[in-house]
Formats: sequence, C-alpha cells, structure tokens
Amino acid sequence: MRNTDRSSGLFWLAVGIVIAISSLKYGLGTLHEPGPGFITFFAGSILALLSLSLFFSSLRDQKDQGGFQSLWVGLKPLKVLYVIILLVAYTFSVKPIGFLISTFLLLFLLFRVKGTYRLKTILLMSLLVTVGSYIVFEIWLKAQLPKGILGF
Amino acid sequence: MDILHHIFYGLGVALQPVNLLFCFTGVLIGTLVGVLPGLGPVAAISLLLPATFRAPPVASIIMLSGIYYGAMYGGSTTSILVNIPGEAASVVTCFDGYQMARRGRAGPALGIAAFASFISGTLAVVGLAFMAPPLAAMALKFGPPEYFSLMVLGLTVLTFLAGGSMLKSLMMACFGVVIGNVGLDLITARPRFTFGLDILLDGVGLVPVVMGLFGISEVFLNVEEKLSERKIFETEFKGLLPNLQDWKESIWPILRGSGLGFFLGILPGGGAVISSFVSYGVEKKLSKHPEEFGKGAIGGVAGPEAANNSATAGAFIPLLTLGLPSNAVMAILLGALMIYNMPPGPRLITSHPNLFWGVISSMYIGNLMLLVLNLPLIGIWVKILKVPYPVLFPLILLFCLIGAYSLNNNPAEIGLMLIFGVLGYLMKKFKYDGAPLVLAMVLGPLMDNSLRQSLLMSGGSGMIFFTRPICLVILGAVTLILLLPVLPLISRIRKTVEKTEGN
Repeated sequence: MRNTDRSSGLFWLAVGIVIAISSLKYGLGTLHEPGPGFITFFAGSILALLSLSLFFSSLRDQKDQGGFQSLWVGLKPLKVLYVIILLVAYTFSVKPIGFLISTFLLLFLLFRVKGTYRLKTILLMSLLVTVGSYIVFEIWLKAQLPKGILGF
Repeated sequence: MDILHHIFYGLGVALQPVNLLFCFTGVLIGTLVGVLPGLGPVAAISLLLPATFRAPPVASIIMLSGIYYGAMYGGSTTSILVNIPGEAASVVTCFDGYQMARRGRAGPALGIAAFASFISGTLAVVGLAFMAPPLAAMALKFGPPEYFSLMVLGLTVLTFLAGGSMLKSLMMACFGVVIGNVGLDLITARPRFTFGLDILLDGVGLVPVVMGLFGISEVFLNVEEKLSERKIFETEFKGLLPNLQDWKESIWPILRGSGLGFFLGILPGGGAVISSFVSYGVEKKLSKHPEEFGKGAIGGVAGPEAANNSATAGAFIPLLTLGLPSNAVMAILLGALMIYNMPPGPRLITSHPNLFWGVISSMYIGNLMLLVLNLPLIGIWVKILKVPYPVLFPLILLFCLIGAYSLNNNPAEIGLMLIFGVLGYLMKKFKYDGAPLVLAMVLGPLMDNSLRQSLLMSGGSGMIFFTRPICLVILGAVTLILLLPVLPLISRIRKTVEKTEGN
C-alpha cells in the first residue's frame, strides 16, 4: 500500500512545521502590531495542517499505487541527474572560466545527452550557438556576460 | 463616445514606430514559443523581462503582452499539425484540429484557428476597453481590508480552478506566500528565511522561480523521456481559407467562445486553459452533430481557439484595474510594472493612460500582425517544428541560464533557478501545480501589507473584515467556494440516507 501522496504529504508537513517554528523566532507581534513572522507563521501552520490532511486521506486509499520507482518507470532519470550536475557545474564555473569557454563546454556535453550526432557536428553546433548567443546577448543586448580570469 | 476617444488615443500610442517594432517582436517571439513545445509563454516572458529593463516601459509591456497572446496563436499550429500542443491552452485544439489535418484539411483548420483567434482577440480588446475603466473607478473605493479579502478570494478561486487536487493547490499557495515573504521585513528590517545568504535579502526573485518551475522543469521531464518521432504533415497548405460552410459552422462557436473566454479569463487561475476546455464542451453539447466532435469538427477548433485568445485579454482586467494578477504571466507583468515604477491598480488608467490604452490598442494591432504572420508564414513555423529535441533542449537551457544570470549579473540567480527547476520537476512528478505557488508568491507580500494595515486601522480587531459590506460579500464567496467540493459529498450522503430510509 505505497502511495506517493503519503511521502509528499510528510515532506510538506515537515516544511510547514519548520516554517512555523522559525516564524515564531522572528516574532509574531500582536494583533495590533503584527511582527515579521506573523503571516509566514500562519502560512506555515496552514501548510502543515493541509499536509497532514493529505497524509491521512492517502491512508484511506487502500490501492497500492507503487512507491517512488513507479514515477520513473520506463524513463531515464539518470539523464536528468546528469543534466542537473552539468548545470550546477556551469553555475560555479561560469564566473571564473568565463562565458565563452564554459558555455561551449556545456553545450558540447548537452548536445550529446539525447543526440546521436557525429563529433564534428556537435563541435560545430556548440561553437555556432556559443558565438551566436554571445553576439545576441553581449554585443546586441549588452548583457555583460562574465569574462573569466582569462579576460574573454 | 469617451471610449472611442480613448481607443484612438491608444492607437496613436501603439502606432508609434518604437511600439510597433516591440509589438512585432513580441508576437513573433510569442508565436515561436507557442510553436516550440517545451517552452511556454510564462518561461519566455520571464526570460525576456531582464532584457526590457533598458527599453521604454510602455514598449516593454506591449512586447511582453505580445508574447503572451502570440503564444496562443502559435500553440494551435503544433496542435493541428503534429498533435503536440505547443502550450497547455491548445491541448483541446488537438482533438479536432489534428483529425482535420489527417483528413487533408490542415489548411482550413489552421485558417479557422487564426481567424477565430483574431475575431475573439478583437472582441476581447473592445470588452477590455469598456469594462476596465468603470471597474477601476469602483476599486478606488477599496481600502486595505477589501484588498486583503480580494486576494484571499483570488487565491481560493485559483486553487479551485487549478488542475488537480484542490488540497495540493492550497498547500502550494501557502508555500508561495512564505517564498514571497523571504528577505528583509519592510517594517522591522529583519531578515526572514535568508539562511544567511546575501542574495535572499532582497527576496526570492520572481524570474528565477518562474523559469525554474515552468522552463527548466519541463526540460527535465522531456530529457528522461524516450525519443519519439514527430510526424509532420508534408502536405502543401494550398487552401488556408475556410470555405463558406466552414464559416457557417464556426461563426457561433467563435462568438460564444469569445464571450466565455473573456469572462473566465478575468477569474484567477488558468483562464486560457480552462476556457478552451469549457468552450469545447459547450460546442459539443450545442452542436447538431455532436458525434462529429473528435473526428474533425471545425467548430471544435474554432470555439476553443477563440476562447483561449479572449481569455488572455480578460486576464488583463484584474491586473490593470485592481493590481492583482490572475495567472503566472500577469504576475510577471505585475513585477515588470513595479520595476518600471508604474504600480498597477485602480489609478493606473488615469495616471498612465498611455500605458493602459496603448497596451490595449497594441493588442488589437498585434492580433492583426499575427493573422499576417501565421497564415502566410506557416511553412516557416513547420520548419522550426522539425528542429529535433536533442538540439532544442540545450538551447532552451542556455537561454534560461543567460536570462537568470543577467538579472543581476550574479550566478547565484542561476543556482536559485536550478533549485526551483528541480522542485518543479518533482512537483510535476508528485502532481502539484506550480501556478498557485507563483501567484501566492507575488500576492504574499501584498497580503502581508494589507493585512497589517487593516489590523492597524481597526486597532487590532479582526472584526474589520466582517463589518465592511464589500469584505463580507467577498469573504462569503470564499467560504462558498471552499465548501463547494464538500457539497457533492453532502448530497451523496443525503442520497444514501434517503435510500436506506426508502428501503
């Protein structure tokens, strides 16, 4: 009798409780002069209550809907994880390495995630898109993209 | 003839070369975004928002609105030709549009979709011009308690109309209120929920949240899917013009769809999506040949297409008159107006008439441009559809990365966007809707403010919400809506009781 609502309900219950408790620390104030934690306390508490009711209503559901794995049946979640790691790496490297190099590397790796193109094609595509986006955003829209320690 | 005078004034604004150019750019990008699956108008508008900061405000809003209604046009093209809706509001168009295409009538299907959108867009603009000023005049009398009640009503209606479980939508709305209140408290200047991070002191930006929830998460969902071949019709689109019989079958669905879409669009929560579904249902009921629906009935294309377009115009009413957004796109426009120092609300029409009437008139001109763009250029849009997803998704990601970075030239904004991207991905997996979160996030600080002001006004008594007649009516409506899902349960219980008594 596994059910995804049950786990997500518990997750949001925890989030709601943490929010409500932190709000208490920020100070509720009085009704006459509500403090900084006033509205978040209520939002967090209501979130916790609603999650609790989601949790209990999922208990009534006796059908086995499968656990987490059922959400990824026939899919390739590892590809998502790989893309996320690439994006996180980009976030940290774009400033030190600069826009041009990090974007080219990112695109080169991303084009290979789902595509089955030849290496030459991928290199060319990554180069074209990197230069193209640099022209549009840096030169045309003046977006001030990061230059990196190498100066470009 | 005051209205006519205003519309001509607005046309004067909209026809200025700069505004014409921005309008054209907007509808062009909108159509493109509508055609491309996996990048919706919400993500596209938030992406382009930072780029407009240096442009004139009126032109920027004209462009951003153009993206919104342009996407509705573009979305129908992919629905009809490939059975893949470019965005949620054209899901219904797949039902009969794709069937028409399979019967070799792709041309008239695309044609009627464009004409229906044009007619309803035009009607809705007229409706907007007539309805907004009196509404704004009324809203001038509203104080903080009325605004607070209205926002509660808005969030309630949203969770009621939003897809999926109402309970989960309410949960997301609560979470959104908290996200919206992250940062320095305006009154006490104390940081809330910043985890010691500087980037959160100014609050969580709307743009990274929206791009994460609606752009990045969509890419993640597509990346894990197995690749499927998209079949595109290779037929020539000779006869794009619907014939007389087509018009006869479509004209009433178009008119009904326009009215329906406009009024549903005013309500908070997915106006365009819901109105297209409602319109389809209505036309199927009213049709003399309901069995034709789902097999290529032209009325099933015309009605919903009209409805989703006029709903986009209707959605502007609460934003421009009350300053309250009714969907995620309007929430971003609200943020944009704040940045341009033109806070939307009842005074907007009189304080910035060039913005209000200019934007409305530009929508009329934009609709005309879309008609010209969509019909003869259909071949180009079909070509764009052929860009394979393995090539497309890195581009979408790159645009989001650049968009987030250029907000403040800070990679931390990218990180924030990625966090909400992963959250949005998991939310879709576990069937939570992102729209209530975004809307509540925008309304959160406004609600905080109006609630505190109301309590200051009343000297700390919550009774202020129950002694003012407008508040009372609004909060009564809230209670009613919250009780609605319970009502069928009550009637079912009653029925069981009756049955057992009968036995």
